[in-house]
Amino acid sequence: MTSFRDYQDRRQRDVTEMRMEVLPLGAREFQGDRAGLITRLAAGVIDVVAIFLVVLGVAVAGWMLSFIVSPLNPLATTADGMRRFPQVVLLVMIGYGLAWLYFMICWATSGRTIGNLVMGLRVINHKGSRLRWPVAALRSGFVVVFPIGLAWVVASGANRSVQDLVLRTNVTYDWVVGVPTLAGILGRNRGSQKK
Amino acid sequence: MSQPEPSPRPEVVLVTRPTADQPAPTSPAHILRAVISHSIGLATFTVTTAANITQQAVNAAASSGAHVAQRGMSVVVDPILDAVVPRVTDAVLDRLDLTQIVLDHVDVDAIVAKADIEAVIDRVPIVPIADYVIDEIDLPQIIRQSTGGVATDAINSVRVQTFGADQWVSRLTDAIVRRRQGNLQAPGEPESLEELAEETKDAQAQDTQSP
Repeated sequence: MTSFRDYQDRRQRDVTEMRMEVLPLGAREFQGDRAGLITRLAAGVIDVVAIFLVVLGVAVAGWMLSFIVSPLNPLATTADGMRRFPQVVLLVMIGYGLAWLYFMICWATSGRTIGNLVMGLRVINHKGSRLRWPVAALRSGFVVVFPIGLAWVVASGANRSVQDLVLRTNVTYDWVVGVPTLAGILGRNRGSQKK
Repeated sequence: MSQPEPSPRPEVVLVTRPTADQPAPTSPAHILRAVISHSIGLATFTVTTAANITQQAVNAAASSGAHVAQRGMSVVVDPILDAVVPRVTDAVLDRLDLTQIVLDHVDVDAIVAKADIEAVIDRVPIVPIADYVIDEIDLPQIIRQSTGGVATDAINSVRVQTFGADQWVSRLTDAIVRRRQGNLQAPGEPESLEELAEETKDAQAQDTQSP
């Protein structure tokens, strides 16, 4: 047991923030295991909703901007034939493109999308470190184009989706306790790069 | 030290008796008596005079030499006291159980009751002590144990529930296709446990650094 004097000395040497954020005891056992279907599905839904909201925001912003270009005739088309509200196909294309970029950047930097962050998941490669940019780009494209590949999680028996099998990646339970900060995420990435 | 009071100067008085009027003694008895009485008188005078002179001399010496004597005393005595008193005190204290004496004879409670506790508390660093206690008893661990693995906040609760659902789905599938559950362990260390491990490592390093 450290004496109070030792404690005081140590405290004055290096002032560290007290960490009250804790991982629940029962959750420790499965940290690092490959995650199952429901958790990954929930994370995916959160991400898709987020992307949908962003695309919707883009559409609404475009609709608003169209009035600056041509303020008259608020319905359907403008005088020069431009649509005020983009076609759904275009929005879907934007959504796919955005999703690809979003997944790639998230997996290559922190290994977590927003959905993964909320559900406590992390995407890693076969060595256990974060994905390299090419792999992240490939996996992101694969997931966007073939989302049903997630269903193989159930069939594989080891919680691997088709994307995981092809690109040798893993989606693991890896809870973020407390509010993640940019500095924390970048610091972690440096740490995993060293390995 | 007070000065010795000067004694009154003793006076020597000579008493003479006229003898001319009396007829001169003629008988041997008279002569003898006269000789004896004069001898006694002379002896008495001599003794009293000597005593007075001695007393005067002593008084004079005492009044004039008092300071000198005092200074001389301190020069001689002080080093002796300096050398002797600490040893004597040590020896005495070694032979006494002072704690027991105080416990037996002093009302400690009364002294404590008199003490200004508020002033003491004002000087005590309460917040560092509280932090120390929290650190030392590992309050986070106690919270963990008291909650018994039940998720403490909404997010954790959702995560735990979906994890349960994952388990249920995989068990169901395993039962349907009649297979054992595969190995779910992924390579690498999860970040959530890595931080804990680093904290423990840091704490151990600090413990070994500080003796």
